Formats: sequence, C-alpha cells, structure tokens
Amino acid sequence: MAKLKSVKEFEKLHKQLTGKKNPKKPSIAVCAGTGCVALGATGVVDAFKKEIKRMKLSEKVELLITGCHGFCERGVVVLLRPEGILYQRVKPADVPEILEKTILNNEIIERLLYEDTVTGKKIVHEKDIPFYKHQDRLIFGSNNQINPTSIDDYISIGGYSALARVLSDMKPEAVVDVINKSGLRGRGGGGFPTGKKWEYCRRAEGDIKYVIINADEGDPGAYMDRSILEGNPHSVLEGLIIGAYAVESTEGYIYVRQEYPLALEHFTTALDAARKYGFLGKNILGSGMNFDVKIARGGGAFVCGESTALMASIEGRVGEPRAKHFHTVERGLHESPTVLNNVETWANVPVIINKGWEWFSEIGTDRSKGTKIFSLVGKVNNTGLVEVPMGTTLRQIIFDIGGGIQNNKKFKAVQTGGPSGGVVPESLLDLPVDFERLTEAGSMMGSGGMIVMDENNCMVDVAKYFVDFLKDESCGKCTPCREGLIQMSEILKDITEGNGKEGDLELLEELSWVMTETSLCALGASAAFPFLSTLRYFRDEYEVHIKEKRCPAHVCKALITYTINAKKCTGCTLCALKCPQDAISGEKKALHEIDQSKCIKCGICVDACKFDAVIVD
Amino acid sequence: MGKLIIDGIEVEPDPSKTILQVANELGIHIPTLCYHPSLPYYGACRVCIVETIWRGRSTLSTACTFPAWEGEVKTDSEMVRKARKVILELMLAEAPDSPEIMELAREYGIEETRFKVRKERIGNKCIQCALCVRFCRDVLGIGAIGFKNRGYTRELTTPFEIYSDVCTTCGACEFLCPTNAIDLSTISPNKPIPLLSEYEAGLKQRSCINIPFPQAIPNKPVLDRDHCMHFLKDACGVCSTVCGPQAINYDQEEEIVEEDVGAIVVATGYDLYPIINIPEYGGGKYKDVLDGLQFERLLSASGPTAGEVKRPSDGKVPKRVVFISCVGSRDPENHFPYCSKICCMYSAKHAMLYKHKVHDGEAVVFYIDIRSDGKGYEEFVTRAQEEDNVLYIRGKVSKIYKNEKDNLVVMGADTLSGNQIEIECELVVLSMAVRPKEGTNDLVNKLKIQADANGFLTEAHPKLRPVETLTGGFFLAGAAQAPKDIPDTVAQASGAAAKVVSMFSEAEIHKEPVIAAVDAELCSGCQMCIPLCPYDAREFDEKNKIAVVNEGLCEGCGCCISACPSGACQQRNLNDTQILSMIKVALEK
Repeated sequence: MAKLKSVKEFEKLHKQLTGKKNPKKPSIAVCAGTGCVALGATGVVDAFKKEIKRMKLSEKVELLITGCHGFCERGVVVLLRPEGILYQRVKPADVPEILEKTILNNEIIERLLYEDTVTGKKIVHEKDIPFYKHQDRLIFGSNNQINPTSIDDYISIGGYSALARVLSDMKPEAVVDVINKSGLRGRGGGGFPTGKKWEYCRRAEGDIKYVIINADEGDPGAYMDRSILEGNPHSVLEGLIIGAYAVESTEGYIYVRQEYPLALEHFTTALDAARKYGFLGKNILGSGMNFDVKIARGGGAFVCGESTALMASIEGRVGEPRAKHFHTVERGLHESPTVLNNVETWANVPVIINKGWEWFSEIGTDRSKGTKIFSLVGKVNNTGLVEVPMGTTLRQIIFDIGGGIQNNKKFKAVQTGGPSGGVVPESLLDLPVDFERLTEAGSMMGSGGMIVMDENNCMVDVAKYFVDFLKDESCGKCTPCREGLIQMSEILKDITEGNGKEGDLELLEELSWVMTETSLCALGASAAFPFLSTLRYFRDEYEVHIKEKRCPAHVCKALITYTINAKKCTGCTLCALKCPQDAISGEKKALHEIDQSKCIKCGICVDACKFDAVIVD
Repeated sequence: MGKLIIDGIEVEPDPSKTILQVANELGIHIPTLCYHPSLPYYGACRVCIVETIWRGRSTLSTACTFPAWEGEVKTDSEMVRKARKVILELMLAEAPDSPEIMELAREYGIEETRFKVRKERIGNKCIQCALCVRFCRDVLGIGAIGFKNRGYTRELTTPFEIYSDVCTTCGACEFLCPTNAIDLSTISPNKPIPLLSEYEAGLKQRSCINIPFPQAIPNKPVLDRDHCMHFLKDACGVCSTVCGPQAINYDQEEEIVEEDVGAIVVATGYDLYPIINIPEYGGGKYKDVLDGLQFERLLSASGPTAGEVKRPSDGKVPKRVVFISCVGSRDPENHFPYCSKICCMYSAKHAMLYKHKVHDGEAVVFYIDIRSDGKGYEEFVTRAQEEDNVLYIRGKVSKIYKNEKDNLVVMGADTLSGNQIEIECELVVLSMAVRPKEGTNDLVNKLKIQADANGFLTEAHPKLRPVETLTGGFFLAGAAQAPKDIPDTVAQASGAAAKVVSMFSEAEIHKEPVIAAVDAELCSGCQMCIPLCPYDAREFDEKNKIAVVNEGLCEGCGCCISACPSGACQQRNLNDTQILSMIKVALEK
C-alpha cells in the first residue's frame, strides 16, 4: 500500500481495483452490524469461514463481512450475490446447507426466506421484499457491498473518487456552491442548510479552522450514525475531507461516544488506511492540501451532542453548552471557526459530488432534499434502519416498509425526533416526512428516531418516559432545564400514579413555555415537546388520568386493577401458579380471586389465562 | 445602522457590550444572579431574561449574554415578568431556604412556589450560579470546587468530595455567592486567616485593597502585595476589571526617596508591649482580654463596633470590665523597670467612657499606685472614682482564667485590705507597657544616635538638652525618647522644632571648640581612625594620603585620638600637653 501522490495515481488504483472484481462471482454478504452480532452473526461468520475451508470453496465464493443492512428485525441477514437472494434469521447450523444447496446447486432454502407479514408469501430476492423495495438507499446502500475495514473495497465501488474530483477540478468555493445548491440540510436534528454553514465558516476569520464529525448519537433507539460508521466509515471520512477542503481546514475531529466501540474501531482502521494512501496527511493526492483527523471520545453524556457542549468536551472541559449568540461557525472549537456536521450529513457529501447537485435536489420535497435514514422501532413488524426520500409519508414508512403494527393491533401514534421530539397521531399518517411538516405537526425530524406505538401505549407514560430521559441527561447548567425537567417529571409521575390534580396541566403548560423560551440550549428548549405534543393530540387521555384516575391504555400501574371474571374463570389454577407474588388464591375448579394488596400488576396472569378471565381496568 | 432601544431609550448599538451592560449604564435595573463583571458570561440562572424584538419577532434572551445589537429590548414587559416568575418559582423549589431568592421572588408576587420542594433540597441555598466555581477555576486558577453529577442531581462539591488541598481559603467563593450558600469549612480544613485591620488593632477584618486609616493622605486605597492573589499567584486581577476609571496599577511599587536635609527630628513613637507576652493574664488566648489601644477602638464611634462596647468573643455588651494597670511596666524582674506613664490616665478615661456608654456596667481598676502628675490629672481620677463610681482596687493581679460561664475571672490581691480577691467579669483591658517602636534599634545604628537600656532614644543631656541628641543635627520628640502623654509630646516636639529653627536661622553652625584635628606632618595615612568614628566625621584625603576631620560632624568624643598610633590626631584646644598641664596644676594644689 503506497502513498498516492497524485489524482492520476488514484485513478490508476481505482481502475485496478474495479478490474479485479468479477460481478458474476458468487459472494456471500453476512451482516455483522451490532444488531446482527447480538443475534449471533459472529457464529454465522465463523461457520461460513469453516465450511468454505472444509468444502474448499475459497476460490469459488467470496465471503463478505459487512456492516448493518438495516433489516435488524430479521437478523442475522445473509445476502447472496449475484442473484440477490436474501436469507433471514440465519443460524450457524444453516450455513452448510446454504453453501451446499444455494451456492453450489442454485437451490433456494424456503425456510430461510422472508415471509411477507401481509400476504404470507415467501420472497426470494432482497429487492422484492417490501422492507427494501420501498426504500431509496443512497447512503446506506453500500453497506452490504463492502467490508468496512477494507479501503480497497470502498475504492472499488467508487469511493474517494468524489475527493479526487474535488481536488483536481474544483475550487473550494465551488464545492460550497454545489452543497448549497443541492439543498442538503443537517441530519443531526437542526436541519440547518449545510452549504450555508460551510459558507459562513469559509467567510469567518481565523488562523485555523476545524471540521468535526458529530458521532455522539444519543437518542434512545436511534442507531443510524453508528451503523454508517460501522458499515461504511470511509464515506463519512471522505465527506469530512471534502468539507475540510471547502472551508480550508487543516484539522478535523470525530467526536464519538464511548458506547460505540465497533464504530470507533472501524473508523480508526479507516483513518489509518486513508493515511497510508495519502487521503490524509500532508499534500493530499499532490494537491497541496494538508489535513488530518483526531479522535475524541465522549464520556456518555447526551448533551455532548449539542455543538458547544461537544466542543467544550473536546477542549477537555465539562460538556456544558454556552450561549450561542456567536455561532460555532465563527467561534467554535478553541474559539476558531468550526464546521460541525452529523455523520449522516458528512456521508451525503461524496454522493452529491459524484452525482451532482441537480440530481440530488430532485430527490425529496421543496425544502428538504435527499434521503433520510430513520430508525424504525417500537410496535412495528419490521424494525430496522430505513432510508427513504424526504417527503415519504409516515404511512408508507410504517405500513409499507415497516409491515404494519405487531399482532395486528391498532396504530396509535408515532414518536419522531428522539426524546425532544413529539408524537404524530393516526390522523396525520399521510403527512409527508420532512423538516417543516414534522415541525408543523408539533414534532420534529431530529436525528431520525421513529418509535411506533399502538393502542397499548399510554401517552402520559410516553411523555413521562422521555421527560425522565431528558431529566437525567440535562447537564444542569441552566435553571429552566435542570429544575424544570425534574418538576415536570414529578408532576407527570403524580398524574400517572393517580395523584394528578386540577391545574396540573395548566401549570405544566406554563412551565413548558418557560422552558422552551428561556433554556440555554436546544436540549432544554425542546425538552417540553414530548409533553406538549402528547397533550396536543391526547389531552383527553391526560384528563382521564387526572379526573377519573384511570389509564385507558392500562399502562399506569397505580391506576389499574386486575380482577377475575367470575363467568369466565374455570378454576384451572394456572394464574395462581404463575403469579410471582402469590396474590391469586382459589380452589381447583372454583372461582379464583386476586388479593389487591399483594398484586404488583405485572400482567403475568393475563398472559397465563387461557379463557380471558382476567380483567384489567 | 439602526438603533438599539432599551425600554424606550434610544442608544447606539455596540455588539462588544451586552444588553445588561448597556442597561446598567442607562440605570435600568435587571436582576442577575450568575453574572459578575469580572467573569466571562455564563447565562445559567436565566433571571436576567429580557424581551428582544427583532423584525417584529419577540424572543426571550438573557441580557448577560445577548450582544447589544440593534433592535428593541424590553426589560420588564409582561412576557418577561411571566417567565421570570416561573424561573424564580423553580429556584425557590431548588433553594427553599434562601432568603435572598425569596426576597427576589416577592418582587414578582410570589409568596410560595407552586412546585414541589423535594426532600433532598430542604435546607439548600445553592442555585448553581457557579460564580464560586468559575472564579476559583478561571480567575484564580485553583479549581478547589466544582460540580458533581449532572442535571437535577448536579451539586456543588470539592473534587472527590474530600477536603480540597489546593484551597487557599481566600474566601472569594463565600464573598461572591449570591445566596450565602457556601461554608468554607466544608471546602478546606484550614482556618481562613483573616486580614486584620492594623488601624482597628486587629478587631476588624480588612480587604486586600484598603485605605489604611480614615485620615490617610492621600486618601486612596492601597493594594496589599503580601496578600493579593495577583502578586501571590499571578491570578485574579478582578479589581482592574471592575474599576471603572482603570485606576489599578499593579506596577506601582514602594520607592526610596532621597532628600538633602539640614536636621532630623526623630519622632518614631511607641508600640504597646504585645499581650501575648503575659500568658498568666490569658493574653493571646482569651479573645476578651484586650490591650488599651484595642479598647480605645471599641469606644470610638468610627471603630469596628461603631462605638458600641461589645466584647470580641460573642458581641455581648460586657457588664463588668476590669482594667489592669502596670502590665509589663514597673516589673524589673519579668519585664521592664520603667513606668509607662500614660496608663493611669487612660485607664481612668476608658473606665469613665465605658460607664458613660454602659450605664449599668461596672468598671474596676487594679493599680499599684496612681500617678496623676499633670495639670488637672488628679481631679480627673477623682471624678472617675466619685462621679462615675469606678472601683479602684490597689493590688496586683496574679492570674486571669475563664470560668464555666465563659466569663473571665481576675484573681489578685487587694493590698489595702490584705485579702485575696477574685472578680468575675466579661472583659479585661490590660494597660500594656509602652515600648520603643519596632525598628528603633536599626534607626539608632543608622543615624549614629544613642539609645538607653530600654531602647528609648537618649537625649544629649537629661536636664539641659532634653530635645537634642549627642549627634549634631538630630533631635528627639515624643515617646521615642521615653513614655510620654500627649501634652508632653507636643511640648517636646515644639521644643525640637524651635531648636531646628534656631539652628537654621544662623549663617554658621556654632559648635563646641573642642574637636579632633590632624597634624598632616605626622599622619601616616593608616586610616585606623576612620571606622572608629561614631559620627562619620573622619575621611581619607586621597590626594595628600592623610586622614582628615569633617569639622561639621565631629563631636569631639576623642575616639580617634586615643587610637591614633602616631599621635598625629589631637583634640584641638584640648591636646595631650594641655591635659597634662591641667592635671599637673590640679595635682599641685
């Protein structure tokens, strides 16, 4: 691996690596993203290695250990090329069969195919599975084509050609111009136009300028950034180098949270490889550009995703935000002009350069361009990472891609935008998802979390959950956020425990207004959204909790009781046997009874009863 | 550029300043808690929020952080008051025991917070403005305190929650805290060493920047370099940021001034013998045992207690005060043999003034004998005894100790009745011996003047030349020569001044004719005489290589004459031959 001294040398290498590839050669891409690893991907990979060796197939097939494919619900996912067959929920024991039947004899193993949740039909090819069919995977699509630890793999699919083009053909201003025209907006939550950010930073005065990757993804249930970093770290790095060229920065950082060890490992490998090829360091590809990247690891504070807190943390200070009357593009890290973009934003940059801003700006809605990756979780059939063009409706995402609600329950709402976001009710399911529409609906895009909720979710409990999360994650610097959140949490706790009183909602609304208007940073300023948006669409549910001391979704334990329906109970004793508290008593074949003083409302009896005799109310 | 309008007042925008600074300049009050002019903005407490209107859009911004850009600002609009009210209610729930926050909250019509006071917060006063943390870390560069945890569990503490080993107990944190939430003893085990005011005789603290005494000339504050953090740690510098006229100059230093003068009056005054030297009276051990000067300050209307007699230990008004004369004086075995002269009279004055201030109080004076030798002095003492009922007990005190009631017990002998007595009292004033001012000895060597066995300066003649020294041009005035009261001091000083004036009024200096002279023929230039001369009157003439006499300085003491090996040096008009002749004549009789 020799240092590339010019764009010409790079092109030669690119050609060489592409030429090596035989598109007809069978390849097995095993997803080894964190989700699939949790489901046993390491065992599957080992089994493939062992079996390929045993069957002497190493010349014939290529084994590709890739990053996340997105379809986490169905892990471990194995994709067989060139046909594009997708096997799901693969176990190590299935491996010899896959090799023998599918690879050697072109037989399909029915058992491992995806079965459509609606039609019940087995689907052979990845492209036909609704989960993939309705997606448009600009950023995420390369994840299943490459080994994330191999820079050559990345180059072979066109990687670093955007950088090469920028260095050879474009002036920094032109790069900013392209990003500006593309309409790319920050994917971290704020949705600030990326090109504008670069432009302001370019214009700002400073001896040194910084570019930073914000990989402090902290929203509960969101893992888009992690999956990109794990699955395709070079795409993010390439974007960063292009950004550095555009704003004439010589020093970059990646701020990655401590909880992402695999992402960090892959990115570190990527940095080393990029340095060896000369994509980082002095005189990059002979262009005269000098740039390198340092790694800063976060200590696990949610608030460090906020730009000023993140920079304080890199500087070695406590991760607390500061007032931003002067933006970080002017006075950022070490008081110097700084561009901070989210992982996904950086990953968009090479795509835009390669395919042109005209092409990019045609995707999406009028003010939100391109695609967005969502982490679709909750009570939906196909949980996973989903990349769709901006403007796709919530219904398409949840029902077409997500396969609808689990156990055929009724959809209630979807929570978007992470803990500071809000809920969108069923009536707005046809809302096209983009920055503006979600904000209008009282929620937000955020970094792309999407938690689907069904009729069994209590909205007061949901609001309390997010408020509690933020209460714990508030840095505590400013009064409205620190004290406002704990007070909000206490009042919501009272409501869910049957101690809500008249005037609580009004006090919460007043408090929400103050938190929103007077908090120091966006964490506090948006911390009331979970409450405000659930109140907006589900006020009646709050009122029932307060006035009738009832939880319609049967979630708030203090407000529900378990009783046994005398007509339905057959006296089978099953519930009494399973009750962990010995709260259920009754003779065989006689009516059972629940001792309310012992009952902890765990719901085990409900699941145990075969006659639907346990009533929750 | 447009204008900045604050509460209807139009000013020029200045983004280098904040809204708060501009409002302060305009005399518009905005409440603040986490703001301090010497620290960079922080914007945490949020009580300084104001309504900023830009292009018709109203938003709430903190005045302490918001640059004074163009636009409109309302500092007390309905929106502002509504938000401040909720913020203060949140603060009250956080710091329920802070009277300062309660007071501020009342201004917004809050009598009680609507929010729950969690049990962890009961007794809490801290509102986490971080002034202490920021000052200690950013200004002093120490970082003895900081926050632990985050969010609602964030709490002020020392690193690792143990006593800080870097805390200098400077007390800046306590001083800055807007809610008095800081207890320095929880930060460092070291007792803070207060800077005691020298002028108030240690009865009051002073700051590092202070005007030494009310009549100081010039009446300007000085920086105490020995205690200032700026000089000690190269940190702080707050005074220079706060001082509006930029008058702080750290480069100013003490300077040595040289003047040519014709005469010097030495009037260095006195010190009181430190009470710590009298351990049997509890000197230095009991806070309520004072010396005369300290009690003088306690009585003074401009003193540390504004003239109220309060004892230092607990601020109680003492109901019985014992004055003890001759402490250290007239005690040749243990301390000093001489009489300090002023104690009898000031004890009487103190006892009298005390009685005037505390009508039901009792004053007791222990004395050996009363020396009231001055005009009207005896009558004054009699008045104290008869009109103000000051009890005079003749006798010496052997011991002072503290009893279980935290009062002092004076144990002594009443030599008139011959009884051993014990008097319980709440305050004791010791008439400490008058001592020559510290440093007098150095001055004696420097000026080539003389001091007596007790260190007081010696006059040329006890009866005939009481204001002059033996060294020409040096005069004495006041307690530098001997313990003296004010009339005596003034009289001597006037005498010294008259002496100087009479010396200056003559065209020539008149000296005794008997001075040293050198026979140039005989002088070998050995220079033995030069270091011996106590008046610096002997010099070496480089040209002629002989020792010569400065006639203006020579006092005719004869030291050089007795030392001269060749006999070249002789007392003019009193040479050896003359002396021998005189002896001869005297013996012939």
